[in-house]
Amino acid sequence: MNLRLLHRTMFTYAGSARDSFNEARLRPVNDATQTCRSFALRTEPAVPLRNYLDFYGNVVHYFDISTPHKKLVIEAESEIETVPDTARPLVPAVPVGDLATFPDRELYAEFLSPSHYVPEDVTLWHEAKEALGESRTTVFGDAIRLARHVFKTFAYKPNSTGVSTLAPAALKLRSGVCQDFAHVTIGLCRQSSLPARYVSGYFFNDKRKPGEAEASHAWFEVMVPGYGWAGYDPTHDRAPDERYVKLATGRDYADIRPVSGTYRGAPTRALKVEVAVRDAGAPVAAS
Amino acid sequence: MPFTPKDPVPMSRPQATVMLSRVAHSLYWMSRYIERAENLARLLDVNHQLLLDFQGLNDGTIKEHWNSILASSGDEDVFREHYEHADSRSVTEFFAFDKRNTNSIFSCVYAARENARMVRDQISVEMWETINELYLFLHDSSAEQLRATDAGEFFANIKRSAHLFQGLTASTYSRNEGWEFIEFGKFLERADKTTRILDVKYHILLPSAADVGGAVDTAQWQAVLRSASALEAYRRFYVREILPWKVAEFLIFSDSFPRSLHYCVAEVDGFLRRILGENTARPRTAAARASKRLLADLQSLTITDVLQEHGLHEFLLDAQKALDRIGDEVVQTTMFYPDEAEPGEQQQQQTQQ
Amino acid sequence: MKPYLASVLLTLARLKTLPVSILSSTYDSGEFFDEMFAPGGAVRPHYGRLAERLGTLPEAEFHQRRAAVDLAFLRRGVTFTVYHDSEGTERIFPFDLIPRVIPNAEWQRIKAGLVQRITALNLFLDDIYHGQKALKDRIVPAALILGAKHFRREFMNFTVPRGIYVHICGTDLIRDHHGNYLVLEDNLRCPSGASYMIENRAAMRRAFPNLFASYGVRPVEGYAEALLKALLHLAPDHRERPNVVLLTPGVFNSAYFEHCFLARQMGIPIVEGRDLVVKDARVFMRTTAGLEPVDVIYRRIDDDFLDPTVFRADSMLGVSGVVNAYRAGNVALANSIGTGVADDKVIYAYVPRLIKYYLGQEAILPNVNTYLASEETDRKFILENIAKLVVKSANEAGGYGMLIGPASTKEECEKFRAQVAANPRNFIAQDPIMLSRSPTWCDGRLEGRHIDLRPYILYGEKITVTPGGLTRVALRKGSLVVNSSQGGGSKDTWVLQGDD
Repeated sequence: MNLRLLHRTMFTYAGSARDSFNEARLRPVNDATQTCRSFALRTEPAVPLRNYLDFYGNVVHYFDISTPHKKLVIEAESEIETVPDTARPLVPAVPVGDLATFPDRELYAEFLSPSHYVPEDVTLWHEAKEALGESRTTVFGDAIRLARHVFKTFAYKPNSTGVSTLAPAALKLRSGVCQDFAHVTIGLCRQSSLPARYVSGYFFNDKRKPGEAEASHAWFEVMVPGYGWAGYDPTHDRAPDERYVKLATGRDYADIRPVSGTYRGAPTRALKVEVAVRDAGAPVAAS
Repeated sequence: MPFTPKDPVPMSRPQATVMLSRVAHSLYWMSRYIERAENLARLLDVNHQLLLDFQGLNDGTIKEHWNSILASSGDEDVFREHYEHADSRSVTEFFAFDKRNTNSIFSCVYAARENARMVRDQISVEMWETINELYLFLHDSSAEQLRATDAGEFFANIKRSAHLFQGLTASTYSRNEGWEFIEFGKFLERADKTTRILDVKYHILLPSAADVGGAVDTAQWQAVLRSASALEAYRRFYVREILPWKVAEFLIFSDSFPRSLHYCVAEVDGFLRRILGENTARPRTAAARASKRLLADLQSLTITDVLQEHGLHEFLLDAQKALDRIGDEVVQTTMFYPDEAEPGEQQQQQTQQ
Repeated sequence: MKPYLASVLLTLARLKTLPVSILSSTYDSGEFFDEMFAPGGAVRPHYGRLAERLGTLPEAEFHQRRAAVDLAFLRRGVTFTVYHDSEGTERIFPFDLIPRVIPNAEWQRIKAGLVQRITALNLFLDDIYHGQKALKDRIVPAALILGAKHFRREFMNFTVPRGIYVHICGTDLIRDHHGNYLVLEDNLRCPSGASYMIENRAAMRRAFPNLFASYGVRPVEGYAEALLKALLHLAPDHRERPNVVLLTPGVFNSAYFEHCFLARQMGIPIVEGRDLVVKDARVFMRTTAGLEPVDVIYRRIDDDFLDPTVFRADSMLGVSGVVNAYRAGNVALANSIGTGVADDKVIYAYVPRLIKYYLGQEAILPNVNTYLASEETDRKFILENIAKLVVKSANEAGGYGMLIGPASTKEECEKFRAQVAANPRNFIAQDPIMLSRSPTWCDGRLEGRHIDLRPYILYGEKITVTPGGLTRVALRKGSLVVNSSQGGGSKDTWVLQGDD
């Protein structure tokens, strides 16, 4: 599928801000499921942009604004070509036992360890035990079971949680948005010895009503030995398909913040985020 | 096998010549606060003595006397917040020990010490020890007792320490950029305080014309001179009686008395030009322009101009404003650094839906 | 006067002038390796001249020289600050006049071992923050690196100037009861103590000028010059007069004296975080003449507090944006970020293996035999034998977070055992080493006290090891803890030109 993305973040300050240092993880990745055909990032005030590849392979743009400004706009536009559903290989059925023995397991150790949004917590452990019971099957199969468990027992309720809600708190509330669904599922996976990572991205909603708000989306991936990272979306109870675009991956939200930074001056009066994901139609023939 | 070692390697490079804004800032304020404390000590001391000399003064006169000191200090509002009556005890308390008064002797010495501590490796051991001892003296409860029992000695202590500090600075501080900031701060502060000493007299409203030239009036003008340590110098210059307009003229325009406004502003201008690298006839910076303008007035106006065209009080207020502006400009240009206490803000985040 | 009376008086007079030497015959080396005395009491050859001098030095004069040295330290303000609550007390780092002497042959071996070690650690850091081959080849378990407190993910794929990560290293060495030198730990983040090394040398020159001259001791005074050279080496080639600064946390840091000392010796500005500002990924210094570009920062601030936009957001000591300026190649940091992963006490156990892996060599200076609580068999051993072992937390410094089993109470051992069981990755244990001792002046007599040695290695265009270093001594009787904040002191270290 060909998708056109717009992600526009605007900060308005109660007064003026200065000495602002920011990072943006807004450039979609290139991997087996998608190719980023074009990408443009602009800021207002306009400043030189630099970028680097972070630990998780995400492209990070960074910039600083020293002069006082009353608002900051960060706008990313990109065109992505996603691999059609028909061309995506199926995830093989790998028994969970293989996780203990496959050669590179050491390299995924941190996806089994606690992280900021998914700390060590006995409630997650209990929940995982309840969801899977004693019967363990395949890596991907168990991951789906856990995701489905969250899908079925949680309520999708915006504003019941916030951007800094940790997984145990969301579990207690049994509600949240996709960020929380992803965090909790990751917590359950890790408690079940399934290495899991957080995915930040977008989802093309072909049933979107005009004027309906769009936002960036979150799901997770589990490491399947011999295959690689296999994704699943606990908010919609399905595997990501050609409508999904991956932006960044990491242990949890803290590793992939689309926009983050610090500055001096007045506190933020308003934060407005506009996301638009559109079908770009057939690709333009090369000339 | 015997071996003669080489001589110890001498310090490989001269001291780094660049001066950090923060260091300049601390030196500047250290110097200003010490000068401020010293002026205040002298002002209070002289006025105590004045009142002792005139035991028979009625309450009204005494009250007005202290009110005038408050009015000229610029801190009257703060005083009124915390005290009901202006009398010898409350005003002295306010100006000597009150920590709520950022311009009390105690507050000034504390601030001077804090700034000195920030640049401890720049100043000599003796300089630091002098400030530290003065601070410890004021910090000790016996200081308040001393002030109550022997105010003269209390104030003398403070003046001595301040003078010792300034003398040590003159003899142990290298004549480099840091020195320029210290002297700039000292003379700026001194100029400001001279205007206030003079302004005290303005605020004392004499009840009747008959009092002009009377014993009380003369004593008050003498007190003004003593507050600037100028009595002997004035007498050498004018010899005869103490006339108000002559006192004002002396303290504003004298180019040889080191506390006169003219003298201090000339020094301020000289150091400011060195600090800002101003070496052309026409000043480039706003601070240098303001300084040159003020100095020009002090070089060309006469006391008659001041008394008749401006009025003494207005003239002194204008001078204070000009000095403030000069100080602020130089601080902004050369001594600016962010307040470390100001917290950074985090950019807000939006949840992924 | 009667003749016999005269002769008695004469004898008495002679007795009074007979020097009472501080070298008492009752000095006991015990079972430890003594730096000065071989088993049996003979003086080791390289201490010969020292023993001679001490033998003829009257005790009173020895005291005089000690007092003079202490006074000089006080006057010069050679202090460190110990913080309890928020009050800091400045203390003189106690200095013992008896130097530690190392013959040249011994030193050459130490030097070779240190150069080898820092070369391997530098290659290790480059690998960890790029291809991670050592992890893929399973030389070090990936989990240990990824879980290390000081592994900085933000530093991944960084290009550092000249490919050098550790510019200043302080490696702590000890000697076992055979006199073999062993590496106790590396300090690759902000090693301190070089200023004391220089001040101690100056003190010894004043105290024993003739002895010093006759011995042929290799100088340490070139340290500041060598350090500055190593820092300048990092500046971009096109800069004619690179601006090097020392970044300090400020007056409240315990090593502030050293920061000021080194900055002055090198003739570079000493700055705090708020004196620096980053604009467009370039670092500048706020001066009275405006913003001056900064090329190299010798930072004495830990990674955590270095940059509030990347690491701890609550740090008021750091410089916002400095990491990205570093990333953009516009400023160099010494030491670079993330070096702490290589001086982690658990990674320490793997260093001999890393030397083999990167250099194809056996380690010249061996490690102390170490048990890793993160490995199952070792963990069992540690938990069962904790009272006989020295147990250390992976990331504490200064002698804190350490249990010396044989010297601890049952409760202390139990408490530690629980900590180890709860968080095994964070602990290692070692057999207690019978540290070597050096004659030290204690309460009126010379007694043996345990010592270690911290040489300083500078990695610039060449790797240089300053001959000598800081010998730290545990002043309390029987104590093995040499750190300044816990009752340690120091001695001058004399590396000889020759062997005696």
